[in-house]
Amino acid sequence: MYNESLIGTLSLIMILTSVSAVEARNLRVAAFAYALQALLICALILNFAVGNPALYAWAAVALVTKAVITPWLLLAYVRRTVDREVPAIIGFGPSVIIASIILVSFYKLTHTYADFMAPTSLATQGVFRTNLAVALTVFAIGLYAILSRRDAIKTVVGLCLLENAVHLSLVSLAPGIKETALVGIATEVVITVYLLLYIISGIYQKFGSTDTYKLSELHW
Amino acid sequence: MPDQVASILPALVFIVPAVAGLLAYVVGRASVAARNAVVVLAAVATGAIAVAMLYQMLAYHAVLTTWGEELRVDGLSMVLVLVISVVGLAACVYAIRYMRHQTAIHWRDITEQRLNTFYGLLMLFIATMLWGVVTNNVIMLYVAVEATTIASGLLVAFYWDRRGLEAGYKYLMLLTVGITFALFGCVLMYAASTSYLPGVNALLISKIKDIAPAFPRTLVIAISACLIVGFGTKAGIAPFHPWLPDAHAEAPTPVSALLSGVMIKMAMYALARTVTIFYPAWPVIAVFMVGLGAFTMVLGIVMAIVQTDIKRLLAYSSVSQMGYIVMAFGIGTYLGLYGGIFHLVNHAIYKALLFLAAGSVMYATGIRSIHDLGGLGRKMPITSACFFVGALALSGFPPFNGFMSKITIYLAAADAHMWWAAAIAIGTGVLTLVVLVHAAYAIFWGRPRTGRLRLEEVREVPGSVWGPMVALAALCLLLGVYPQLLYPLLDRAAQFMAPASQTLMTLGP
Repeated sequence: MYNESLIGTLSLIMILTSVSAVEARNLRVAAFAYALQALLICALILNFAVGNPALYAWAAVALVTKAVITPWLLLAYVRRTVDREVPAIIGFGPSVIIASIILVSFYKLTHTYADFMAPTSLATQGVFRTNLAVALTVFAIGLYAILSRRDAIKTVVGLCLLENAVHLSLVSLAPGIKETALVGIATEVVITVYLLLYIISGIYQKFGSTDTYKLSELHW
Repeated sequence: MPDQVASILPALVFIVPAVAGLLAYVVGRASVAARNAVVVLAAVATGAIAVAMLYQMLAYHAVLTTWGEELRVDGLSMVLVLVISVVGLAACVYAIRYMRHQTAIHWRDITEQRLNTFYGLLMLFIATMLWGVVTNNVIMLYVAVEATTIASGLLVAFYWDRRGLEAGYKYLMLLTVGITFALFGCVLMYAASTSYLPGVNALLISKIKDIAPAFPRTLVIAISACLIVGFGTKAGIAPFHPWLPDAHAEAPTPVSALLSGVMIKMAMYALARTVTIFYPAWPVIAVFMVGLGAFTMVLGIVMAIVQTDIKRLLAYSSVSQMGYIVMAFGIGTYLGLYGGIFHLVNHAIYKALLFLAAGSVMYATGIRSIHDLGGLGRKMPITSACFFVGALALSGFPPFNGFMSKITIYLAAADAHMWWAAAIAIGTGVLTLVVLVHAAYAIFWGRPRTGRLRLEEVREVPGSVWGPMVALAALCLLLGVYPQLLYPLLDRAAQFMAPASQTLMTLGP
C-alpha cells in the first residue's frame, strides 16, 4: 500500500536537510534548507495520505505554516540583523561529525526500541516505525542545535526543527487527531517563532549582535 | 461519581477576559479612562463568573460541563479558576497606576499605545490560563499551556531593555522547548487511549482516567517522563527552572505577580491533572515526584539566600515553594493532595502579595537591590505591613495561611512514613523564614549600605496600588485563622485525585 522505498529516500534527504540547516554558516542558507525540509515533510505526509485521506489536510497545514510562513519570517528577520552566524561552541568539522553520530545512533536506537514508547501497534509496523524513528532523529538534531549554537537565530532554526519533528511523528503516533487540534498546534508554533524573532531583533538593537553569550546580565 | 450539570459559565469565564483584552486594545486608542474601566470591569466580571460557578457546583453537588464534556470543571479546576480570577483582579487594579508610573520611567514619556498592548496581552494571558484549567481535552490542555507562554512572552520583555529582552528570549525559548515534551506526552496519552475509547472520548482526560491502569508499563514511563519534563519546565521544577528567576524578576510587577502567583500553578495543575491518573496503578511515579519536590525546594531556597535583588529573591523562593507542592502531590494520599492544593492556593495569594509589595517599593524608590534599601518602614507603613504579612505567611508562620498548608504537608509526609521528606520540608521552612525575614528587616528597618536611597523623598504608594495588597494580605490572615473556609472545595479537589481507597472515609474524622 505504501511506497516504502520512496518514503525511505524522502526521509533520508529530509534528515540531511536538517543537518544542513544546523550546520550552514549562512543563516539565509539555513532558512532555505529548513524550507526544503518542510517541503519534504509535506511530500512524506502525502505518501502516508494514501492510507488515510485525513492526512491531506495535514500536508496542507504543514505547507502553509512550515514551508511558507516560517521561512519567510526567518528570512525577513535575517535581513534586519546579520546573515553570518555567530560561530558555534563547536567548530564546523567536529560539529558535522557529532551531528552524524547523533543521527546514526539515534536512528538505530529509536528504530530498535520503537515498541518502548509506541502507544499503538500501528506505530511499530513497517513504514510507521521508520517514520517514528526519523521524526525522533530530527528532534534530537534540533535539540543539539539549540544546545550547541551561540547564534540566537540559529537556536530558533533548531526550535523549528523540533516542531517539524513533532508534526511528522504525529503521522505515526496519532493519525486520528482532529484537524482543529493540529491547526492549533501549528499556529502556536508560528506565533512563537515570530515572537522569538521579534525579541531577537530587539536584542540585536540593544546588544549589537545576536550572540547569546552576550546575554549575561542575569546570572544568578 | 458526582452528577454532571451542563453550564455555559466555564466557557464564559475565559471568553469574557479574552474579548475584554481585544476591546481594551481597541478602546485604548480613543480613551485611556475607558480602557482602564474595561480592564477592571472585565476582571471583576471574571471573578463574578467564577463565584457563580462555585455556587452552581456546591448547590448541585456536581461537576460543570460545557459543549459535551469539552470543558469540565470539578473541584480541582474550580480552585484554580478562583485563584486565577482573584489574583488576576488584584494584578489588573494594581497595574492601572503602577504601569503608568513605570512606563513613564522606562520611556521618558508615557506611551499609551504600548500600554494598550500591555493590557490587551494581560487580559489574554489571564484568559488563556483560565482556558487551560477548564478544558478537559488533553491536546487542548497542551495548546492552552503553550498559549499562556505566547500571551506572556512579550509581557516579560515589555520594558524592552537589555535585561527584559534577555529574560524574554530565555523565557520563550526554554518554555517552548520544554512544552514540546509535554506535547509528546499528551499525544501519547491520547493515542494510547484510542485503543480503548471510541472517537472523541479518547481526548477527554476524565475518560482516560478510567482506562489508564490498562496502559503498558513502558508507555506509562514514557508519558510520565514527557509530562514531568514538559509541564515541570513551565511549573519551575528544578532542574528545569533557570528561566523562572529571570522572567519573574524582569517582567513588570503585575505580570510578575501573575507569573509567580498563578501561571506556574496552572502548569502544576496540568501536571497534577495528567500524571496523577497513573498513581493508582503506578505508585513508583509518586515516590519520584516526592524526591523531585525535595530537590526543588532545597535548591530554590539555597539560591534565594545569595540574591540581593528583591524580585529575584522572591522568584527563587517560588521555585522552592513549588517543591512543596510537587512533594505534596507526590505523597499522593488524600492528606497530601489536600495539603498540596491548599498550599497552591496559599502560595498564589502570598506570593502575588509579596511581588506587589516589592513593586510598591520600586514605585516609591526606584530601587530593587536590598543593599541599597533600608528604613522604609516609617515612610511606607502599609507596604511594609503587607510585606511582613506576606513574608511570614511564606515562611509558614502562624497565624497566616502558609502555616496551615505547610503543617498539612508535614503531617501528610509523616503519615506516609516519609520522614526524610518531612525533615527536608521543615528544614526548608526554617531557611525560608530566615531568608524572608532578613530581607524584610533590611528593607523596612535596616540601614541602607549605600547612599542611593533618598529617604526624605519616599512617599507611601497611592490607594489603588496598596488596595489590592491589603486585600491579599487580609486573605492571608483569613485563610490562616479560618482554614475551614476552603474545606468544601479542597475536599472535592483532593478526592478527585486521591486513589479511591484513600479518601476521607478511611483516613480522617
